Amino acid sequence: MNDTTQAKRSDEPVWWALFSAGGVCFAVVVPGAILALALLPAFGGFSADNLSYPRISALLHDALWGLAGLAFIGSVICLPLFHAAHRIHHGLHDLKLGGGLLSKVLCYGSAAALSLLALYLIS
Amino acid sequence: MNIETPGGNKQEPGPYQPVMPRTWWLQHRYFRFYMLREATVLPLLFFIGCLLYGLYCLSLGETQWQHWLAFMAKPWVVLLNLLAFAASLFHAKTFFELFPRVMPLAPPGLMIAGQWLATLLVATGLTLLLGGWL
Repeated sequence: MNDTTQAKRSDEPVWWALFSAGGVCFAVVVPGAILALALLPAFGGFSADNLSYPRISALLHDALWGLAGLAFIGSVICLPLFHAAHRIHHGLHDLKLGGGLLSKVLCYGSAAALSLLALYLIS
Repeated sequence: MNIETPGGNKQEPGPYQPVMPRTWWLQHRYFRFYMLREATVLPLLFFIGCLLYGLYCLSLGETQWQHWLAFMAKPWVVLLNLLAFAASLFHAKTFFELFPRVMPLAPPGLMIAGQWLATLLVATGLTLLLGGWL
C-alpha cells in the first residue's frame, strides 16, 4: 500500500529452510555416513586399504570432477550444522538460557564458520 | 501473586504471572520426548567434529590421516559415534513421520517407507563405495 507502514521482512524463513534441508540430510545421508566412516571400519567391516590416504583423497577431490566431495561435505557437514544450530538456539530458549540475538548470532555464526572451514579444507 | 491495593487488601489477585521453571519439560512425557529429540543434535555435532578433524588431517598428509584412522578406532570415539548413529535413526523416524502430515502427497505409510528406503539406499551406497566394492 504505502512504504512507511511496511513491516520489516523476517529472516526466519532463511534459517527455517536451512534447518529443514539439514533435517533431511541428517535423516537420509548422515546414518549411512556414520555407518561407513565410523562404525564399520571400527568393527572390522572394511580392510584398512579402502580408507587409505590416496583413495580417500581421490574420492573427495577428484570423483565426479570434485562434485561428489562437495555434495558429501554439504549434506553431511554444512547443512546438518545449520540444523544443529537451529535446534540449539531454540533449545537454549526452552531451557531459559538464551534464545535472544546473542545465541542466534553464536549458533548460526558458528555453523557458517565451520561450514566455510570444511569447504576450505577440501578446496 | 498478590498486589497491594489502596485499601491494603492483600487478598485481591494481581495480574496473572505464569510460572515457568527451567525444568518445565520434565513434567510431561510429551515434552521429555521433544527435548530428547532436540538433544539428538549433540551426538551429531560430535560426529561432524570427527569429520572436520578428518578433513584437517587429510589436508596435512598421509601420516596425520593414519592418526585420524587410529583416533576413530578409539573405544570412546566409537561409543559416541554409536550414540550419534542411534540419534540419527531416532531423528529420522520422527522426521519421516512428520513429512506426510505436513505434505500429504501419498498414503502416509507409503511415504514413510519411501523415506526409509532412501536412507537405506544412501547407507548401502556409501558402504559399498568406502568398503571398496564399488
